[in-house]
Amino acid sequence: MYVRRTSFKDSDYIRKDCERVKKYICLLSRGDPLVVGRVVGDVLDPFTRLVSLRVTYGQREVTNGLDLRPSQVLNKPMVEVGGDDLRNFYTLVMVDPDVPSPSNPHLREYLHWLVTDIPATTGTAFGNEMVCYESPRPPSGIHRMVLILFRQLGRQTVYAPGWRQQFKTREFAEMYNLGLPVAATYFNCQRENGCGGRRT
Amino acid sequence: MLSSAKHNKINHSAFSISSSSSSSSTTSASASSTSSSLGQNKSQVTMEEVWKEFNLGSLHYHRQVNIGHEPMLKNQNPNYSIFQDFLNMPLNNQQPPQPPSSSSIVTALYGSPLPLPPPATVLSLNSGVGFKFLDNTDSLVASNPNSFEESASFGCFAKKRGQFSDESRGDRRHKRMIKNRESAARSRARKQAYTNELELEIAHLQTENARLERQYEQLKMAEATQHQVNKTLQRSSTAPF
Repeated sequence: MYVRRTSFKDSDYIRKDCERVKKYICLLSRGDPLVVGRVVGDVLDPFTRLVSLRVTYGQREVTNGLDLRPSQVLNKPMVEVGGDDLRNFYTLVMVDPDVPSPSNPHLREYLHWLVTDIPATTGTAFGNEMVCYESPRPPSGIHRMVLILFRQLGRQTVYAPGWRQQFKTREFAEMYNLGLPVAATYFNCQRENGCGGRRT
Repeated sequence: MLSSAKHNKINHSAFSISSSSSSSSTTSASASSTSSSLGQNKSQVTMEEVWKEFNLGSLHYHRQVNIGHEPMLKNQNPNYSIFQDFLNMPLNNQQPPQPPSSSSIVTALYGSPLPLPPPATVLSLNSGVGFKFLDNTDSLVASNPNSFEESASFGCFAKKRGQFSDESRGDRRHKRMIKNRESAARSRARKQAYTNELELEIAHLQTENARLERQYEQLKMAEATQHQVNKTLQRSSTAPF
């Protein structure tokens, strides 16, 4: 919201902006997709978005709750990290909290990708891929694939775990002093010939 | 306190239950160390006293009613002094404390961990007269598990009937219902989350669109005014000749 000398037309714009911003805030507080989809809860603690995060698989940009099939997420996506100071480094974690099945997630979570030392305003191509990208192939059910961005305290302060299963994002963040996430997004993934949750 | 009729009945039942009866009669009549049938008269008298004191009627009653009442026994007072007294009876002719003596005997045997005194007395009795006492307690122990087993099996009676009983079918259906409910809730959450995300996107895109439109109009206006200023032709620098 910016303040300037307004003409009749401008005030209209500003009023509409106010409404939209109010709606935006209202939606975020009541129905933040990360909360409604239980990503905040199952995987993360409530946090505030501080840095922009854009994940793109091919031509498709990932929005929360987007449905993608394994064929569409075969290769690692392009990730653009926001921020302003190139001296800040970020860690990107990609986990599946619904392994092996969302109704019985006893192997929660499965680590698909870990990239550290990403400088602000750049992307994963400039980071250190500690755990290489494993394309999601959920055997049963509709899994949420969550991408989380943390701000590192310094460079080379984060290390890879020994295995991908039973990964705990909260514990991982605590172990390496990553604090709360600065950004997160998720999409849904199911078997290639899954019925999309609809039986008819 | 027992009536004589009851007493006789108990005597009979006590005698009918083979080992326990004989051993109990012998133990109770340890003063008269004869087997049941022979010294019955004499032993009956002493037995009467003893049985009266032990309130065996309650024990017999417990035996019959015990099926399904296992917890009742456990809750009752494990009074070890009573057990001790029971063991010490033939030696001291002491009067053990009253009512739930028999049941407490059983609890002392089963429910709670026995403290040191009873084993000590057991050991002391082992050598002497009370050896038959041990048999008595053993037989008591032996006979009672039957009732316990029955009570235990009574609980899973339905399971024993087979897999396709009503209970397991209901359980499975119930579990399935819960799973379905959870799955439906997840599905609704998924749908709602996506809808919210789309609405947020719309709001965001609309704001940006409005901003860009305004910027465009501004630029257009600025360009128009600039054109007005620069309408006249002017000579600009060309080749240097």
